[in-house]
Amino acid sequence: MYSNHRSFKWTSALLAVTLTLALALAACGNNNNNGGQAASGDASPSAGSPAASQVDGSPSAAAQGGELTYALATSPDTLDPQRSGLAVAVRVIRTLYDNLVVKLPDNTVKPWLATEWTESEDGLSYTFKLRQDVKFQDGTPFNAEAVKFNYDRILDPNTKAANASALLKPYKSAEVIDEYTVKLNLETPSRAFLGNLSQALLGLVSPTAAKKYGDQFGKNPVGTGPFKFVKWEENAEITVERNPDYNWAPEIVDNKGAPYLDRLTFKIAPEEATRIGSVQSGQVLAAETVPPQNIVSFKSNPDFQVLQANTIGLPYTLFINQEHAPWGETKARQALQYGIDVGAIVKTLYLGTYDQAWSALTPGVLGYDASLENSVQPDADKANALLDEIGWKKGADGIREKDGKKLTLRYVDGSPNREKRNDIAAIIQQQLKKIGIDTEVVITKDILTEVYTNSNYDLYGNSQVNGDPNALSAFYHTAPKGALGNLSKVSDPELDQWLEQGALEKDDAKRAELYKKVQQRIKDEAIILPIYVFPYTVAASKSVQGLKFDLLGYPLFNDVSLAK
Amino acid sequence: MRQSTAAEAVLQRRKWELPAYRGRARRIRPADLFVYAAGALILIIAICAAFPQWIAPYSPTDMMMDAIMQGPSAAHPFGTDYYGRDILSLVVYGSRDSLYIGFMSVLVGGLAGGAIGTLSGYVGGALDAVLMRIVDVLMTIPGILLALAIAAAMGPGMGNIVLAVAAASVPGYARVMRGQTISIKNRPFVTASRAIGATPFAIFWKHVLPNSLSPLLVMATLGIGTAILTGSGLSFLGLGVLKEIPDWGALLSQGRGYLTVAWWICTYPGLAITLLVLAVNIVGDWLRDRLDPKRKEA
Repeated sequence: MYSNHRSFKWTSALLAVTLTLALALAACGNNNNNGGQAASGDASPSAGSPAASQVDGSPSAAAQGGELTYALATSPDTLDPQRSGLAVAVRVIRTLYDNLVVKLPDNTVKPWLATEWTESEDGLSYTFKLRQDVKFQDGTPFNAEAVKFNYDRILDPNTKAANASALLKPYKSAEVIDEYTVKLNLETPSRAFLGNLSQALLGLVSPTAAKKYGDQFGKNPVGTGPFKFVKWEENAEITVERNPDYNWAPEIVDNKGAPYLDRLTFKIAPEEATRIGSVQSGQVLAAETVPPQNIVSFKSNPDFQVLQANTIGLPYTLFINQEHAPWGETKARQALQYGIDVGAIVKTLYLGTYDQAWSALTPGVLGYDASLENSVQPDADKANALLDEIGWKKGADGIREKDGKKLTLRYVDGSPNREKRNDIAAIIQQQLKKIGIDTEVVITKDILTEVYTNSNYDLYGNSQVNGDPNALSAFYHTAPKGALGNLSKVSDPELDQWLEQGALEKDDAKRAELYKKVQQRIKDEAIILPIYVFPYTVAASKSVQGLKFDLLGYPLFNDVSLAK
Repeated sequence: MRQSTAAEAVLQRRKWELPAYRGRARRIRPADLFVYAAGALILIIAICAAFPQWIAPYSPTDMMMDAIMQGPSAAHPFGTDYYGRDILSLVVYGSRDSLYIGFMSVLVGGLAGGAIGTLSGYVGGALDAVLMRIVDVLMTIPGILLALAIAAAMGPGMGNIVLAVAAASVPGYARVMRGQTISIKNRPFVTASRAIGATPFAIFWKHVLPNSLSPLLVMATLGIGTAILTGSGLSFLGLGVLKEIPDWGALLSQGRGYLTVAWWICTYPGLAITLLVLAVNIVGDWLRDRLDPKRKEA
């Protein structure tokens, strides 16, 4: 192997040059984010702008035909909506399935596959009248029986439904009244239920196909949606094609019939540079999740457009684990609140393309408390004073100590570095050093074990795409006995009470008030550190027209056409 | 065979060097200048690694958020990255880990590989057969792949990277040392020692070992370059540790998303790797010429 030293040397030198270049240019494009848990989605929105806005100018006459290639940042886990938990999967799922109802940007709920519905006096049941002209892509008729099958399937523990079961709560049972009338019964009244039925993860699957494929349904999806599944090449691409029979699009899109596109191919390109480069070179027509540093250059290029969706839910939030000392103390958490300059982090990393989050909810969700904006200003002196007050004194090395113990903070974050979240950790590490906290940043591929099984973190960040403020319950309501607990391990009887009331309150104004109280308490007690609201960005060639986004920021391809 | 091909290479090179540098000019050949420059560069980088605070204009962890992604300027000769850190300072401080990985993994790999090779060559027989078959198996796996697999299995950490890079180089050292040991073992002076009643250990310690070390030394020097590269590669691929002060490979990896908007974030650490590896190889090459007995005879 090394018999000739001379050639070995030159090989090495050559290797040095090529590898350096290759490292810089090529990349390791094999990171799939499988660690994402429960709808840990890219949350979303920016203040005030209405969701589902039509970003592109409406094409005068949409051209029929063509294939749209759309690069995704990670690979979907499954295309079975009831089993998926990843936001990226929803982008594909949305093209394959429809829902009973649709939620508009103004938070009103409108018909989709259901034409009308009534709610019982006690709020314990909903009766839906269904469209009669709908068929699943495999020919199975869409009827009350199919609706019942779907929701019962989510409830069935054998399905191992992930987020879908949380969204469907408190669904109890369904009764088939006649072929096109179905009554859904609830355990308890819920204000979130009707709106949740619009979420893609509660999309309706073909009962025939679901029974036939069982666990493999996620690889052989069949719905009623505008596109039909064609093929899925693992870690490479997912192809769907036009469903010519489609004629039941919801109010949120203009084209009620079959889509203009013949085919839609989702390319899976986890490596940022590859994904963005392939739009620039024309290998794909559109790519999602554009890094901030590239948004500017795309915007200034006349051949491209940057589409930005305003989605809603819980912003990217750092949860402080109250079970680990000293973070159970309010003053210690407040020190973090004052010691971390979130504004500078968001401005530095996202170059003005992301908005800073101020509350446990994002703007656009019912009850969002805008009065919290700018309510916390970084103040290192205050942070130092708070820590001094509770007995943590700076030691010789600048790190605080109490009873011989160093003040440390274990900051756990996932890999790969989605939305520059690892970089947030790196900056916070430096900022906290200034107030005497030693931050250990742990980047792991196995968030599930580290965070959700072992709770081995002081600080961990997550976000959730959700259209209803009831989403707060999963994060801030006391966890049931024996359960692992919410991410902050918070248990506050008053918060519990407000969240419970909020789930039931019929008057939207009163409901909003309850959630405002919740948000204020969360801020006052420094339970979390809200960081940023995620704008879903798509860089696309100018020829792509009519791309829209739904309330949650998921792309809708019904109106998309390709200009010739 | 190994020796003769190396010697052939030297002879071949001398054939094309001789006509050009005949006469007085031969004393300061450009090749020597390269060696001096390479030596100076290694020295500078070594000083950087030992006393970074003397050279770096800023603290490598200082995030100047009002000066992010600035191009090279007088204040920041290599520019600043997306946190507003000074890249020159990062490169200076990053040299420590890169050099550490380079030297430590060669030390570990060289000692382990050298020991296996010497033992195998000197003892011979069944032990030789078994050890060399193991080495053969390891040699069928490309070095970088082996290092990747080991690093991935052991998890991130400086020590693990060193071990991974070292393990990948063991087969090479073992092979060379075994060949060298066998060739020395059969020389007349060894036979003579045996004839006057020296113990096998004494022969090994006094004669065989000292005489077989020079190829290992040369190979180790050249290996430092490869080790730095492999270590940087592993670090680039995210198998290193997320440290406050990243090594060069990690710097490259962090900057690659910004290549189109801020080329300097990647370029300078990349340049540092390239130059250091080149310098180490030039010095290694020179060292080989010095230690090559065939060359002295010529």
